[in-house]
Amino acid sequence: MSDENPPLEGAAFLKDKTKGLYEPAGSKALGESAERSTKQNREIAAGIPQWERWRAAAGQIKAFAIANLDKLLVEFEKNITARGATVLYAENAEEANRHVLDIAREHGVRSVVKSKSMVTEEMELNHKLEAVGVRAVETDLGEYLVQLAGQRPTHIVTPALHLSAEDVGELFAEKLGEPFTAEHQKLTDIARRHLREEFVAADMGVSGVNFAIADTGTFCVVENEGNAGLSTSTPPIHVVLMGVEKVIPSIEHLPIFLNLLGRSGTGQKLTTYTHLFHGATPGKKLYIIIIDNGRTNALADPAARMSLFCIRCGACLNACPVYRRVGGWAYGWVYPGPIGSVLTPHLVGLDKAGTLPFASSLCGVCNEVCPVQIDIPHQLVHLRRRAVNEPSPMRSLRQRVIWQAWSWAMAGPKRYRMAMGMARLGVRMAKYWPWHFWELGAWTRGRELPKVPDRPAFRDWWRKNGSQLKPEKPQTPDEPSR
Amino acid sequence: MSSRDNILGRIRTALKDDPPLERPAAPEVWPRENPPTEQMVGRFTQELEALAGEIHRCASMEDARAKLAELLSRLDQTTIGAIDHPLTRELAAELPADRIDWGASGADVPTMAGWAASVVPADCLLADTGTCMVACATTHERLMCYLTPVCVVIAQTDRLFEHLPAAWEELAGRIADPELRGEYVFISGPSRTADIEKILILGVHGPKRLVVLLVG
Repeated sequence: MSDENPPLEGAAFLKDKTKGLYEPAGSKALGESAERSTKQNREIAAGIPQWERWRAAAGQIKAFAIANLDKLLVEFEKNITARGATVLYAENAEEANRHVLDIAREHGVRSVVKSKSMVTEEMELNHKLEAVGVRAVETDLGEYLVQLAGQRPTHIVTPALHLSAEDVGELFAEKLGEPFTAEHQKLTDIARRHLREEFVAADMGVSGVNFAIADTGTFCVVENEGNAGLSTSTPPIHVVLMGVEKVIPSIEHLPIFLNLLGRSGTGQKLTTYTHLFHGATPGKKLYIIIIDNGRTNALADPAARMSLFCIRCGACLNACPVYRRVGGWAYGWVYPGPIGSVLTPHLVGLDKAGTLPFASSLCGVCNEVCPVQIDIPHQLVHLRRRAVNEPSPMRSLRQRVIWQAWSWAMAGPKRYRMAMGMARLGVRMAKYWPWHFWELGAWTRGRELPKVPDRPAFRDWWRKNGSQLKPEKPQTPDEPSR
Repeated sequence: MSSRDNILGRIRTALKDDPPLERPAAPEVWPRENPPTEQMVGRFTQELEALAGEIHRCASMEDARAKLAELLSRLDQTTIGAIDHPLTRELAAELPADRIDWGASGADVPTMAGWAASVVPADCLLADTGTCMVACATTHERLMCYLTPVCVVIAQTDRLFEHLPAAWEELAGRIADPELRGEYVFISGPSRTADIEKILILGVHGPKRLVVLLVG
């Protein structure tokens, strides 16, 4: 991992207060691009009369799949094993890495080509492979760029959104010895040429899974570049990393997800390539590694289960006003944006990522655009409640005292009046106080305090003048209006 | 206890008090309108061209052969690869035998990567997305979809479906049949990326050109 990467401790911009509002040279581009994507999503949804029915149906299928996860996993395992695959289970990233390294060792693997897989980001698989001398190359162009730059993806669908063409030209000049260019076609051709060499030399290909289909033992991978196709067909070994939640009941349920995923992810009706794998290709080895890595934590909390419906389209990232401003790295781990704020605390623990559920304005737009109707705002509120009651960076005696005092003050008219009087006094006195003090500083640093109006408070005004105001007699239907 | 037992055990414990849910039926994604073939051809053409794919309508296989010959005459390399299928055999009937590799030669990946083009048969076509659905079970067959700079798809109009759900019954039956191999690649246009500044570029890894010869 690069030193530039933030440590895994939740939303850095919350931890470091306003200091953390950063994204390397890209926040404007990222924000604009995310905004365009959301606009496109809305136009697509508006053009399909049954869009809401699709979302509801997809949500129901996912709910059924999660409610029957144990049975569907066993069914998938049985069916794909019958077609020559080897299925392994991993409780955590460490065990999953161990499986991959064992496979690599057994087959004498020296180089690996990888197509985009968020689960392998969770595992930091590339670093583990490189640590034992196995060359691991990301082949999705965006992932390749961030790997060359020693960075983390900033978006789950478009990982190098923060890099300009000039950045990429400089990167290729520095890392690949290519003459500098900032032309998109030439840059893409350079990547194609270098990655072709990797594809043809690779001993093992690694991919993720978009959907695993229980009743046929099929798994589906979608992409646009063709790198997943090449990564899974050029080398003699194909290793598949799949989270437990990827399974759906039947092949007949796949079309609705394909229709939703392309449209929500990239605005396409279908992605350029949709691959259906159906067991080991003759003459090749196929390993499926099914990973928990914290997903059963979400399952064990019924109020949080819905987060496992996610199909990783990235629509909620694009729509989120917080993500657009702070970018992907600020979330501190693999999954950024609203879904990251919901998933990460389950996957790594509230003690490490307890601040993330607070990284939201709860505007609800993430729920509105989610193709499987995950109620992210309520998931966030639920996690906030847990974060202040369970071991987490957000559990604080001071905060608890403050909010209990606030709750007490708001619970009766006299107390409320007294609190408002104190607030007015506090605002008037604030200019004589040391500025940005205590925890309030995180809020006041970027804001100006409102001016207290010179006129009396409404309650005082009402006490004085209210009795002089007589309400008009309400009209009855029998009385003609004048 | 193995990791498998532990994971499945945790899942069962988490779900043990849940009421059973009814298995959802396959939703109707798009209504069936059964449009006439010509209408589907028009839609398929429009969608494929919007994806930067090329399409040549061929009245007969003879026509398609002439189109293929014309296409190959403009390519630098001579050897092409093909998926072995009655449709591709018919298309390539007049090509010199040493010009086309059907996968029996056991050519390695670097050799295949040097071929000028590939010819693959579409099992089904989807009109509303401009998609070619190619059944490919072997490594050679799959590589023919991605490896060469030009991919030629041979397809027949009677295999046109209005949309994915309309084609699905047939595909799902094949995939569910334990006696058959159910690998497919659905191809909707040439390989593409927008990973650098969201600018669309074709042919980042897979074919830069996708040419569909539609017969019938």
